[in-house]
Amino acid sequence: MNKVYKNTEMSLRECISNNRRVYCSVMTGVFILVILSLLPRPLLAMKNGKIVVFNSDTSVERYSIAHTVFKSKIGNLVEEIDLGNEKLSKKKIKKKIRKIDPDVIYCIGSKAYQLVHKVAKNKNVIFSSTMKWQLLPIGKNTYGVSNEIPQSTNLMMYRYFFPDIKKIGVLYSKSYNKKWLKIAKADADKIGVEIIGKAIRKPEEVVSALKELLPKVDALWLTIDPIVLHNKESVKNVFMQSEAARKPVFAYSNVFASYGAVLILSADISTIGKQAAVLALDILENQEITEKIQNPVGSSITLNMKKVKEYGITLNEDALDSVNEIIR
Amino acid sequence: MINLMRIILSIHLSTKKNISRLLIVICILVSFLSGSDLNKSVASPKYTIYFYNQEININNFVFFKTEFDKYLSDYGPYRFQPFSDKATFEEFITKKNDGVYLLSSWHYDDLAEKFPIESVLVGTSKGKSTQKRVLTTNNITNIESLKGKKVASVGNEGFTKSVLIGMLGEGKKDIIDSLKILNVPKDIDALIAVGFGVANSALTTESSLKKLAAINPQLYKTLKPLATGKQTLLPIVAAPKQADDDIGMLLTVIEKMGQVPGGKDKLKMLGIDGWTKLSKTEMISLEKR
Repeated sequence: MNKVYKNTEMSLRECISNNRRVYCSVMTGVFILVILSLLPRPLLAMKNGKIVVFNSDTSVERYSIAHTVFKSKIGNLVEEIDLGNEKLSKKKIKKKIRKIDPDVIYCIGSKAYQLVHKVAKNKNVIFSSTMKWQLLPIGKNTYGVSNEIPQSTNLMMYRYFFPDIKKIGVLYSKSYNKKWLKIAKADADKIGVEIIGKAIRKPEEVVSALKELLPKVDALWLTIDPIVLHNKESVKNVFMQSEAARKPVFAYSNVFASYGAVLILSADISTIGKQAAVLALDILENQEITEKIQNPVGSSITLNMKKVKEYGITLNEDALDSVNEIIR
Repeated sequence: MINLMRIILSIHLSTKKNISRLLIVICILVSFLSGSDLNKSVASPKYTIYFYNQEININNFVFFKTEFDKYLSDYGPYRFQPFSDKATFEEFITKKNDGVYLLSSWHYDDLAEKFPIESVLVGTSKGKSTQKRVLTTNNITNIESLKGKKVASVGNEGFTKSVLIGMLGEGKKDIIDSLKILNVPKDIDALIAVGFGVANSALTTESSLKKLAAINPQLYKTLKPLATGKQTLLPIVAAPKQADDDIGMLLTVIEKMGQVPGGKDKLKMLGIDGWTKLSKTEMISLEKR
């Protein structure tokens, strides 16, 4: 390398003394190119890396929103694959990834992530829009944005909207949510709210468990639990029991709006797409990433004012500036 | 088509019985239409509140419009039109002179130079018509260390960076240009982003930081202000300079929103709880910026 520099330098000196303008420009250009080619690769890779998106199904609105927002922040995606449209086998996905050789793969939805993870373990993979990411296989090159608002944020908002609510009940199954409940209780303690949990083992226990739980609490907090919310019937039972006991239900998705949930706090999908984009750019720029799996920081809040009035719950009206939608 | 109708009518009108039947049908139709909602005395909206505010991140325009339209329709032929894009908003208002404009005090300053408008009302929150912005962090010790870092903000990139220039000075422009802006739906989300390590700092109003102190003291204690901006006015209602009496009536309806329960909760969605007429000092401060 020193010989290259020396030769280039000598040529430049010659050029200046002989006043050969064209030759100077060429040599200067060559000198710059030599320096650049000898720089470590990651510095050159800044924002020029290849990014591919695998979308589980673009016809699913929340996947589509995350995809569109991600794309708007990244700009030059190498390829976008819709697994809802293209029936690709593991082998074909592996072949595609090998051919493109992306620096980052963004997977939207569990289906996309699970398929890509199996065939591209050495690639940097970002996931988003999956339920219960803790159940996914996570590799050393896995990054992601959770779809679930953390317990602390939920509790903070419940308290902000309804300052009189002190005891919140949670119906859960130990197999899915034992750890979740432990965290919820610890977070609740910090803000002066009590969580009363009632565990069930089978969907058939929902009604009797609620009859026991609801009289002890001011509100019911619905969480993602396939035993508690086993099917439509189970969901109906939860809301019917809560309605009969006149206890508000706090939920995590707008699908429960029609059942009568009083407050729905869900992750803002657009912000998830932005977070995924920031992660992708940080990876490409070799930036330090302290949180590989991030909590979603954007929230979407729906308030059922009709139910608030019906149950006579005290609402902090200042909280209305945080609401995205009001059901009247 | 017309000929076909003529033929049908001529067949129907050929007997007296059919004439009377047709008259009955016509009467029923007329009474239906006159009694129907279509013909209610709520005329189609004639005056509009045009809304654009980059300080507020609204992601459900349909909901906002529906809420405000319902409220305004009780008071007259008024409607609410939100915009998500500054250029479209400005393009629209050049063509229309049939309403008033609800916008940030920052934007008013710029708009008043281009269009013949004047500020009339300013939003209030707990009796105050101003707000301060704060840049908060939990792990950055000085402004220089902010270079290349992430700032969570409700405003878009352009707005956030211009606020930061106002706050930190033109001398810090290279630092501000290097910042990555993470746009979030609410001020509280921006503060949470710092708490979760997703952003290094958050640009919010001082009142949002105070709210956080009340609802999550633990998180609040981990945050510290890195820089504070000057007091700026809350959202403004501006009207065309040559406003007629009808626009004057609309302004009265807007001004009284904070005194009526149904109106107050609409204002809360904009982060204010009332309106007040701008004082002379406030008007001068708006013009001077």
